[in-house]
Amino acid sequence: MSDTKTVGGGGTKLLLARFRLFFILILLMAVLSVVSPRFLSLENLSNVLWSVCIIGIMCSGFIYSPITGGIDLSVGSMVALAGIIANVLMNIVHMPMLPALLLTLVFGLLVGLVNGVVTTKFRVPPFIVTMAAKTYLFGIAMFVSNGDTITIMGPKDFLSIGVGKFLGLPIPIYIMVVMIIASHILLKHTVFGRRAIAVGANEVSAKLSGVNPDSTRILAYVISSGTATVAGIVMASLTQQAYAPNAAGYEFDVITAVVIGGTSLLGGSGSVAGALIGAVMVGFINNGLNLMNMPASFHPLVTGIVILIALILNQGFTLPAWMKPKKRAAGGQA
Amino acid sequence: MSEKALADSPVALLECRRINKSYNGPMVLSEVDFSMKRGEIHALVGENGAGKSTLIKIVTGVTNRNSGEMLFEGRPIGIEHSKTAAQVLGIAVIYQELSLIHGMSVAQNLFLTREPRLPGLPFIDIGKMNSLAQELIDRYGFTLKATDVIDSLSIAQRQTVEILKALNSKASLVIMDEPTSSLTSTESAQLFGIIKRLKEDGIGVLYISHRMEEVYALSDRVTVLRDGRKVAVLEKAEIHPEEIIRLMIGRKLDDRDSVHTMRKSDREVVLEVKGLSSEGKFSGIDFQLHAGEILGIGGLVGSGRTELVRALYGIDPHDSGSVEYLGKPWEPGVAGSIRGGFGFIPEERRLQGIMGLISMTGNIGITNIDVIRKMGFVSDRKELDLARKAIGLLNIKPADPSVLVGNLSGGNQQKIVVGKWLIRDLKLLIVDEPTVGIDIGAKEEMYQTFARLAEAGVSIILVSSDLPELTRISHRILVLRKGRIIKEFSEGQVTEEDVLKASSGILPGGAK
Repeated sequence: MSDTKTVGGGGTKLLLARFRLFFILILLMAVLSVVSPRFLSLENLSNVLWSVCIIGIMCSGFIYSPITGGIDLSVGSMVALAGIIANVLMNIVHMPMLPALLLTLVFGLLVGLVNGVVTTKFRVPPFIVTMAAKTYLFGIAMFVSNGDTITIMGPKDFLSIGVGKFLGLPIPIYIMVVMIIASHILLKHTVFGRRAIAVGANEVSAKLSGVNPDSTRILAYVISSGTATVAGIVMASLTQQAYAPNAAGYEFDVITAVVIGGTSLLGGSGSVAGALIGAVMVGFINNGLNLMNMPASFHPLVTGIVILIALILNQGFTLPAWMKPKKRAAGGQA
Repeated sequence: MSEKALADSPVALLECRRINKSYNGPMVLSEVDFSMKRGEIHALVGENGAGKSTLIKIVTGVTNRNSGEMLFEGRPIGIEHSKTAAQVLGIAVIYQELSLIHGMSVAQNLFLTREPRLPGLPFIDIGKMNSLAQELIDRYGFTLKATDVIDSLSIAQRQTVEILKALNSKASLVIMDEPTSSLTSTESAQLFGIIKRLKEDGIGVLYISHRMEEVYALSDRVTVLRDGRKVAVLEKAEIHPEEIIRLMIGRKLDDRDSVHTMRKSDREVVLEVKGLSSEGKFSGIDFQLHAGEILGIGGLVGSGRTELVRALYGIDPHDSGSVEYLGKPWEPGVAGSIRGGFGFIPEERRLQGIMGLISMTGNIGITNIDVIRKMGFVSDRKELDLARKAIGLLNIKPADPSVLVGNLSGGNQQKIVVGKWLIRDLKLLIVDEPTVGIDIGAKEEMYQTFARLAEAGVSIILVSSDLPELTRISHRILVLRKGRIIKEFSEGQVTEEDVLKASSGILPGGAK
């Protein structure tokens, strides 16, 4: 059960939970290295990290939607659209790179603002709101790109974001690490982080403590959309491509990563570090399938099963609270 | 086998020997012996954290004991007990929060998962189910219809259905945890009638209550727990409220007089409310609140008490009227209220007061975020300091700030809800039913805390349905009826009866 992992939920427990996750990760790596000797090669591992970067960057912000008790399903479409918008601004409008990317980011933040406002002020469940957003963002992407796969030819600086290296490591890794650390700090050590957890844990109580649940939630969606935009920019630069269905389904990879990492979809708890491990696992699984030369049509099937096993393992070492009689009662009558 | 023969059999209904339990570290129960006979009404009393709930949970299989023996009807129950096993054995619990399914009828609830089928068909025989249910209801003489939908029933009636459900599953031990906390006195009297009926049928009733008069009137025996140990088992003749309380808390409480003297404060006015109204909730509310004053707000549930204090704290808006705070016009709003020195303790602790899955530190920190923040960041060290301070101030157990609040006992949860305000620079504390469902010792501590605060100059608005509480600790009492102040007791002698009469609209010489 993940609920204990956030605010001071007992040091030992937290440590055990982390270890469990690492253990499963190592288990997965062991299996993959047996299946394919190429898996543990430095080249392959850094390849995995590349693909992990996109999911990891998305996770860093996405995590706030489940923590506040909601969900943001629009992040996958946002990634694809961000790449297309950035390309339009740089290569068709011929804006300089920096303003173009900033403008793309502003667009992403606005999408999050709309998601958040509709959820809180119009009281539409976030699942529905962000599913609608997923659809219309994809619509915009299709409309703008004409449904074509656009090859991004430049500018050079932009392309070097994705493929460039610094101290031997790809730049997207640095971006991801910075965003994960920033998100970890945001969750654990800032007023917003505390408020997000409080709103997810008990909205009424949070409200009586002076927290504004609406603005906290709106900010959560803004952050979620914002990081998806960054992920989209990095992905476009990395793949040198912009294509509307590019990141279709990424929202599920992200959900998988945060859930594996111990974030409760019911709100009130979350772990950014856990989400990163989750993202690495999702990356490994996808990578493993490629290494095994498995036909693409099998990928979803295997991915689904492996994720299910990972989740069961993650829960199984200590029983989840709803199966544990003691915990169940403790939450209720005392 | 007749019920009578069973009741006389020497085998105890429930026998617990040397039960030990700890969740994480400290012992919650140590070497506790407990036994119940058939057809016995047995009260289990003790302060918060004395281990009552834990003992019940062990008996009902909600949690497992660490060691000790347990026998039910002479048959040993293994350490690995479970809720299902308890139900099969005939142990039924009536919880404070009822477990009925709304939108279903009484009969549907009674026969849930055991619905009678049409012969040879997978369909429910609704006619048979209803008639069986009605039979059961009539056998106990309840005024219920099998086809009544749960939503249309009062809390007391719902509790009756819960009890019927236990009887329908052939329970021989019925456990009631604070059954009267949400009942009126008439409804309580009805419940006592039912409990006595159960006793006559040879069913054992294990009863947890904080209301001494009930324990006194009902019980055949009383087991007193203190700090996880069994302190005493009192037989019928030995049961005296004074004695029980002494055993429970190990100190003697003064006799409480029912007559209390009101005293008007002449200190400066902290809060002045003029003509405050909110459509359909309250109207034309005028009062002044002085520094260091405890202003009681009485009235029946639904008289607008809670709505008024919610509006003052700034949770709900008001339509007209004005509020002055510290001599300046004041527009209530929660965040502003907190900054301005308000504190608010809501009526429903579990739903509104605490975040169960979050630690004590987190619960305390979120309310005091203005104290522990530096720019947008939160100081973990300061937050922990605050939590430690609150724990120390109110003697919260266990004294470990990392414990999840949901795992604390009711009284200690309430201490968290109160404690998070006490560590602030507080000027006005609004409390709504602060002692519901907590034991007498914790209540006393709560009252002392309020008195101390008042002495230190903090003004307190106390909303309470507990008349002894209201009359005893208030300096002045406003009684609300149908959204208006119908009576103010500001000087002279006041009894509980006076307040109750005013709440019900019976006023000598007409309304004020």
